[in-house]
Amino acid sequence: MNKTITLSAAPTGMQPGGYVPVAFADRTEAATPSATIEAVAAGNGWRITLSWACASPVRHTANETDRFPDACAVLAPVAPDSPWITMGEPGKAVEGFLWKADREQPLHIRAEGLGSAQRAAPPEGTRVTADWRDGHWQVVFEIPAWSALAAQRQLAVAVWAGAAQERAGLKSVSPGWLPLG
Amino acid sequence: MKYETPAPDRQIAMVLDLNKCLGCHTCTVACKKMWNTDAGTDYAYWNNVETMPGKGFPANVHDPATAGRDLDGTTKRGQIPDLDTGYGRAWTFNHKDVLASTGAPVKEWLRPREEVKWGPNFDEDHGAGEYPRENHYFYLPRLCNHCTHPACRDACPRGAIHKRQQDGIVLVDQDTCHGYRFCVEACPYKKVYYDHVRQVSSKCIFCLPRIEEGVAPACARQCPGRLRFVGYRDDPEGPIHKLVDRWKVAIPLHPEYGLGPNVFYVPPMSPPRLDADGRPTEEPRIPLAFLESLFGKAVGPALEVLLAERAKTRNGGSSELMDLLIAYDWNQNFKLDAHQREVLS
Repeated sequence: MNKTITLSAAPTGMQPGGYVPVAFADRTEAATPSATIEAVAAGNGWRITLSWACASPVRHTANETDRFPDACAVLAPVAPDSPWITMGEPGKAVEGFLWKADREQPLHIRAEGLGSAQRAAPPEGTRVTADWRDGHWQVVFEIPAWSALAAQRQLAVAVWAGAAQERAGLKSVSPGWLPLG
Repeated sequence: MKYETPAPDRQIAMVLDLNKCLGCHTCTVACKKMWNTDAGTDYAYWNNVETMPGKGFPANVHDPATAGRDLDGTTKRGQIPDLDTGYGRAWTFNHKDVLASTGAPVKEWLRPREEVKWGPNFDEDHGAGEYPRENHYFYLPRLCNHCTHPACRDACPRGAIHKRQQDGIVLVDQDTCHGYRFCVEACPYKKVYYDHVRQVSSKCIFCLPRIEEGVAPACARQCPGRLRFVGYRDDPEGPIHKLVDRWKVAIPLHPEYGLGPNVFYVPPMSPPRLDADGRPTEEPRIPLAFLESLFGKAVGPALEVLLAERAKTRNGGSSELMDLLIAYDWNQNFKLDAHQREVLS
């Protein structure tokens, strides 16, 4: 897979709690309108490269209270019909890898519905490298093994723009699961 | 999907008599030393004392623009204070330079290394009004209100905030929190703080380990002015019920947001304004409109009761309300449960 995709703003109306759906009802435009994704098999694992335009990168959040880092995630369904837009549902998990610009190591994420994501250290050997230059981020995930992706061969991506105070469900997302081809 | 907040079995609460606050910040120090010594909460004060009128802490906290609620209680986007102009950075000082210059012809003055923009208690004792006829200020100690309908809980997409069933204390589960700060943004009182090292939110826990042992929170027990009262809302023999429900002299801060705060204030009575000849008038120095901007329309009737009861004692009579507020017996300030530990007063 190597394609440029149009991203859309994750719908805030379905976010858990009473605040975000109302306070961010006006967030209908994606802060990151598009991204390029390349996913290639590398041995038993995967090398996934995500790149997108970002005029104002936010790499550091230490000693600040109101800054959010740029971030991105790649996601795969664990079950054949794990829903994408709700980050899975009970019994139908999704899992993936999260990169945050203020962390050196990626995080493994697993969720069974909105607000349920669990973060953990990734499997040994998982690496991420990130580079911002000429107004673009390029983030490369090297994942030694990812059974969900191997089984379902579908991928989704999300991008958070720190400069727009994006975090949690405030993000730009791919239009559903993307087949690896 | 809006969360429902189940009513707790009981609600613990606090009353603060603003007529007795001397602005010593002992409450703040007691709280800070007990709970907020981590590097990521260096700027944070679960309890703070503000000079009113003033910008408060964080700056502009009483400005509705910063709140995650409109003045009719409907949800709107709030603001997250920044560390420089909102909270005030924990400054570092040039101690070594000052010491090294003691023998030098030109001595260094002690000063912060960083540019100073704001801080807790930054506008201490500024107040308002023209001196000497109408100048005024009073102190406003603040802590989490452990609201009946907590805006912070409503804001958390992770469901990391809950209200304890046994006493209504509002808590952040830091194992579930991902540091998104919607809680900070939504709370009109700005009493949830972000630990920027651990990347989780933190807030007043009403000293729950003390409460469970029958001991009032540190801010209340350390108060030299004896201005804090702690107990349960539903205890008719306790100080909270007496001051809030029976006498109706203790009222919540910013009731307009509709969150049901469980911290209440006895509003400040004013000395009189002076006329052009320097004689006292019938007008209070603290404008009623200003007090109403903090406490709503209930502040006027509360002041009337206070003034009437004070007049009784001035005329040689007795007042149960005044006796309670004066705190002749400090133990009456606190009524927690059967194994409550007495104050040594």
